[in-house]
Formats: sequence, structure tokens, C-alpha cells
Amino acid sequence: MGQSFSGYPQLPDCFDELVSPAGTARAPATAIARFIERHGTTELLRRQQQLDQTIRSMGVCFTLYSEGQNIDRAWPLDVMPRTIPLSEWRRTSAGLMQRLQALNLFIDDLYHDQRILRAGIVPAELVLQSRNFLAPCRGVSPPFGVWSHICGTDLVRDGQGQFLVLEDNLRVPSGVSYMLENRTVMKRVFPELFADSTIVPVDDYPHQLWKMLASLSPRPGDVPCIVLLTPGIYNSAYFEHSYLAQQMGIELVENTDLQVDADGVYLRTLNGLQRVDVIYRRVDDIFLDPTVFRPDSVLGVPGLFQAWAKGQVAIANAPGSGVADDKVIYAYVPQIIEYYLGEKPLIDNVPTYLCSDEQQRAYVLANLDQLVVKPANESGGYGILIGPRATDAERALMAEAIAKDPRNFVAQPTLQLSTAPTLCDGVLEPRHLDLRPFVLQGRDLYCSTGGLSRVALRRGSLVVNSSQGGGSKDTWIINDEV
Amino acid sequence: MLLKSLDHVFWLGRYLERLDDTARLINATSHVLIDSHQDTQFGWPILLEVLGQDSAALLQKFQQGDTPLTLAETERAVMACLINAPDSPVSIRATCAALKQNARTLRPLIPRDMWEELNALDLFLQQHCSTAVSRQQRYQLMAEVSRRCQMVVGVLDGTMLRGDAFDVFNIGRHLERADMTTRIMDVLVLQQLQPTQIKRPKFRWLSVLNALGGMESYQYYLAHQKGDVDAIDYLLTYADFPRSISYCLNRVAASAKTLPHAGAILAQLQQVQALLKPQALSELSTVQLHSLIDELQAGIIGLHQQILEPCLQPVAVVQLSA
Repeated sequence: MGQSFSGYPQLPDCFDELVSPAGTARAPATAIARFIERHGTTELLRRQQQLDQTIRSMGVCFTLYSEGQNIDRAWPLDVMPRTIPLSEWRRTSAGLMQRLQALNLFIDDLYHDQRILRAGIVPAELVLQSRNFLAPCRGVSPPFGVWSHICGTDLVRDGQGQFLVLEDNLRVPSGVSYMLENRTVMKRVFPELFADSTIVPVDDYPHQLWKMLASLSPRPGDVPCIVLLTPGIYNSAYFEHSYLAQQMGIELVENTDLQVDADGVYLRTLNGLQRVDVIYRRVDDIFLDPTVFRPDSVLGVPGLFQAWAKGQVAIANAPGSGVADDKVIYAYVPQIIEYYLGEKPLIDNVPTYLCSDEQQRAYVLANLDQLVVKPANESGGYGILIGPRATDAERALMAEAIAKDPRNFVAQPTLQLSTAPTLCDGVLEPRHLDLRPFVLQGRDLYCSTGGLSRVALRRGSLVVNSSQGGGSKDTWIINDEV
Repeated sequence: MLLKSLDHVFWLGRYLERLDDTARLINATSHVLIDSHQDTQFGWPILLEVLGQDSAALLQKFQQGDTPLTLAETERAVMACLINAPDSPVSIRATCAALKQNARTLRPLIPRDMWEELNALDLFLQQHCSTAVSRQQRYQLMAEVSRRCQMVVGVLDGTMLRGDAFDVFNIGRHLERADMTTRIMDVLVLQQLQPTQIKRPKFRWLSVLNALGGMESYQYYLAHQKGDVDAIDYLLTYADFPRSISYCLNRVAASAKTLPHAGAILAQLQQVQALLKPQALSELSTVQLHSLIDELQAGIIGLHQQILEPCLQPVAVVQLSA
């Protein structure tokens, strides 16, 4: 076994998902290695073409905005899967569920008694001055005390192959539809590899999502009316919105399909108004309700916030859940887990230095050439300094900015993200990747089987976003317990 | 079904049928038109008239200066307008884009198999209908467009949930078909007849039947009908032929009867159906026949509006407590 990866140009300091340092296939990658051995990379290339064709005819796409035009691009999926043993995945998913549970206790505490702030575990001003802390949410008690029902946690592996949490996405995380469609495509393209059935299925997710949403209904006992609220067909994630609505058998609605009166939220159907119990919203907090948040929102539903606060309708994720989705709060998650659950975190954070702390700041300033510095309240990669790739002048500017407003900066070591063999111009080459599993919490907790593996297709690149030349891989959790 | 989906599902049905009908129209009339260069009345531009376009205005864009288009140029220009011109609202390409846009909005209602069939159709058209199509390729291409439309309908029939959406889709298809049949009769048949004729002539222009895929069943009809009937009776009243006006209206009635606003639709429908009393037809003059077709077309427009009427109801204004 393992011959097929001879000549594979492994990167020295990176953990490879499929190939051991000796150049042989890791145990969960045995079947795919055997396939390559038997058929060669020319067959892989042929399957890649078949795969691309399948994606086009299935209409799996993502939307790019370019020059005011919406362009549907075929979803990029690499023919080589990423494999993870089930035994390792069990530990990882337990850690993910632990994390979401603690974060929900944290959010609920922040909007009620704020015990953790009074205990001095998390500095009060960090939370109270955050623009993600939504004052109108104070005192609201959503079902089960859960605010973030759907979490897309970004995981990376360090050089030793240890999973670390890079980011918690607690607002409107996307990507799960591609996780599901990647599997559908791969089953069509590699029927023989699925035949021995050690690849754990992923298709339970839509049902679990539906079950979680149903558990939030304010009218338990009745068949719940659940809707997915989308900004509309021009939104970049519209594919996912329509896909999930279809997979769960619920209505896909825009704000104009909903109306609110004193009793609750209603859906405008051909048969008249229908009471809505649960809204899976894919619209950002500040656009949800123009009477409470941004008055210029054209995506919102007037009165929706009040209906939610009164418990007439459930909203997932709840407004205000973004307060725990913040780069400075992130640094405190290990303490948050210990405070609420009395447990050690099962998955570590990427080490994070807070510039607000004098000692840590000194370390950051002394090691700017090795660290990645991120502003706490920006997203989308704005204002980030990648120390090893920056010029002296850029580093000097950053040092100045940190000195001026230390609370607004965090720093992390530059990570050696793990790699996996990826078909590039007909040859297998290592490419960096991350993993976004999806964790659900309502009455129960659930973690997806694996997640969406995103891969940076350019050599040496660490950028996995599909809008910036990133691709994806099907994530195979291989049952190693049989 | 969401109230707004009424409009999208209805148009999904209309556009899909229009795509099929346009492809059929092109193929069935091409053979006749290729031979008709001596006959000024039966020129290529008539196909644009069938689709409700001002052919002179559309074709002017293809003209260089004052020189009139040659016959070959006219054919190419008309076919461009019907198949691939991006700014022609009646082109197969534009219809397919509209079809795809509606399907996108309705994605949660559309079964996966039908979604894939629609994508295949769209990809096929993008690949084959984006540039000028030669006469040799045209027949094959249009036959394939028609075939793929039928596949979408077939897959949908086999997989889609029987509910309001399915009914509205079928209403859209059959109303579009009735509309197309009246247009074809109006332009290809009636406008070529002298309006002064007291009694309509027996008309057996077979290409019209070809366009509607009804050649063989027309022969069957002729062999089994008492009295002196022709293609006009057949297209208007023969309820067993799936492209006759009678058949289409019956299907609209069958699909509409469980909708919440069935009452208003069926009342409107009965008025249209009353126009098709077979006994009266044979006594009509050409002028009267013409006005009958006009009334049918007005009835179809009225039905269209009646079906979409619930979408026009204003959103209830709700007073919110502060």
C-alpha cells in the first residue's frame, strides 16, 4: 500500500491529510490510494472531467458579483477526497458541541445577569462596547436559552496535525449545501469507492436541521410552520438558501412574503395568511427589522423583532448571537468553556495574543515579523498584517496602530495549514485546506459528519474562499471502528 | 404555496410551452417557406408576426443603409430573432433565460430530477443557440429543443407533488398552447385569406398542422367526422387533439378547479368555451372567423389576468404597536 503517492511533493512542515511523512497512504486513505494505484492519475483526470460535467448539469453553483452583474459559476470541487478517521472525528465533534454549548450559555448570560462579566472572567467593556452586543435583546429568553442554533466553526490543523479552532461563525454561516452536494456528486463519480460503505453518510443533516428548527416552535404539538428567510435570488448564497429549503420541505420566503400583527408573524400564501412558528433567517441582524435596527433596510420585516421578543415566533440564529462571534471574545472561549461547563476545552484555540494585555502586547511588538495581526472588529480579511510577508514599513505602521489602540488588535502565529493531494493540471500536488463543520443546537446538540473542506487551489496560498480561487473537497469520515 | 409563487409557476409553464412551440413553429414552417420565395405573402417575416412582433421594425436593425434585405438575409435575420439574438424578446435564447430565472426563484418547489433536466436544456441552448445556426443544423436543433422540453414536462409529471403548484404549472402550459394555436391560425391562415369572401374556404394547409404536431390525428379526425369539416374546426373544437383550443381550455378547467380562486377562473373560462359552439362555426364568414379568433385571444388574456389576480391584492396594512 502507499505506492501511489510516491513522487508526491509533500511540504516539509505541514501535516498531510492523506499521506504519511514516509510517503505512504494514511489508513483512511487506503481505498483511494488503491484506486490510484490500479487506474493511475489519467483515470483521476477522466473522473474530474466527469465530475465537472455532473456539477454543471446538477446546477451546483455559487454567485459572484462582478461589474454589477450576477454571474453563476460552477462550484469548484476537486476529485480527490479528504479523509478523516471516524475515531478522530468523534473526539472533534464532541469538542465542537462542547464549544457551542458554552458559547450559548455565554450569550444567554450576557443578555441576562452578566455573571461572567461580574466574575471578571471576560472584561465587561469588551462586551458592552462591542457593536455586536444588541441592547434590545437584553432580557429576551429564547427557547432552551439557545441563541446560536447553527454554528459553522472553522477548523485548521497545525504542523503536528492537531485540529484547532480558527473562528466561530455564529451568525449566518454558509456552505453546508456544498458539503451535501459534494457528496452527491462524488457518489455518482466514484460509485466503486462507496461500495464498501466505510464512508460515513452526511445526508442526515437537512433532517437534523429541520428537527432542531421544529424544536424551537412556540406551538409544540402542532405541525410547525418553518420558513427560510432569504435576501432574495441575487444574494450570493441563494443557491444554498433554495437548496436547504427544498431539502427540508419548507417555504423559501423573502420579507415581502411575511407580515406581522399583534399576534405574530404570518405567511402570505395562495390560501390566505398562515401562522409562522420558526424563521431560519439568512439575513443579517441589522437588516432584520427596520423598526429596531437599520431603518433603511429593504430586506427586513417591520415588527419581527417584537414578535420574537414576545416569543410568538422563533428566529434561528437569534438576533444578537453575533456578540460571541468576535476576534477578541474568541481568545476567551477556553475560559468561557471552563466557567460554564467546568470542563477543559476538547479542541484548542489557535494561540491568540491580546494587545490589550501589557505582557502579551510586548511579545506581539517584539515578534511582528512572525505573527498575523488582526483588528478585532473587522471582517472579510480587512486590515490584517501577515508579519512574515509584510515590509518593514508596514510592520512599523502596525506597531504604531497597536500602541494607539491596543484593545482593537489580536495576534496569532502564522499557521502551517495542513495539506491534501489535489489534482492540479493532471498531477497530484499538496494544497492547503481548512474544514468547516456545522453544529446545531436546539433541544438537542448535533454535529455534521465532517464538514465542508475548502482548499486553496493556488500553490502556496492559504486563501480558501471560493470567490478568491478557492475550491472544495468532499470530506470522507472513514469508519475505522469496524 | 406562497402567493408570489403563483406568478412564477404560471410563467414557468408558459415559458416552457413557448420554447417548445417556437421550436415546432420554426421547423414546420421552414419547409414551406423555403419554397415560397415567389410568394410575397408567405415570407419569413410572418413567423415574427405569429409571435406578436412588428417584423418590419425588427428587421430594419439588420439592414445596411437603404438596401432591402435579400431573401437569404431575411431568413438569417428572422432566424436570429427567433433563435439566438440576445435583444429579441421572442428568441428561444431569451425564453430559456426567462424560464431559468423563474425556475431559480421556484427551486424549492422543483424536484431534483426536473431541475437537472432544466439545467441540461439550458446548457444545451447555451452551447448550440448562442451563435448563428445554419439551415442544415436548424432542423436537428429545433427538434432537439422540442424533445428536451418534452423531457422536462415528462420528468415533472413523474415526480412533482400534486398540489397548487402542479396545477398552476399545467394551467400556464395549456393557456400558452391555446394562445399559440390561435396566433398560428390568425397569422398563418386567416391573414392570408381575402376578407371579402362571404363564406370561408375549406382550408387544408398542412404545415400548420405540422407545426402543431397534429398531422396524423387530423387524418383520423377527417375519417371519423360527419359533415364537412376542415383544419379550422379541428384546431378549434376537436377536444381529443391536445393542441386544439377546446382541449387546452378543458385542461385549464380541470387544473383550476381546486385552486382557492377557482370560481372566478371557471366563470371566465365558460365564457371563452361558449365561443366554440361547433354548429355555428361552419356558417362563419372569414370576417366573422377573424373576429372569433380575436375574441378567443381576448378571452385568453382575460383568463391570464384572472389566474394571477390574487397576486394583485394589496398587502394588508398592519398597525404595529410601538
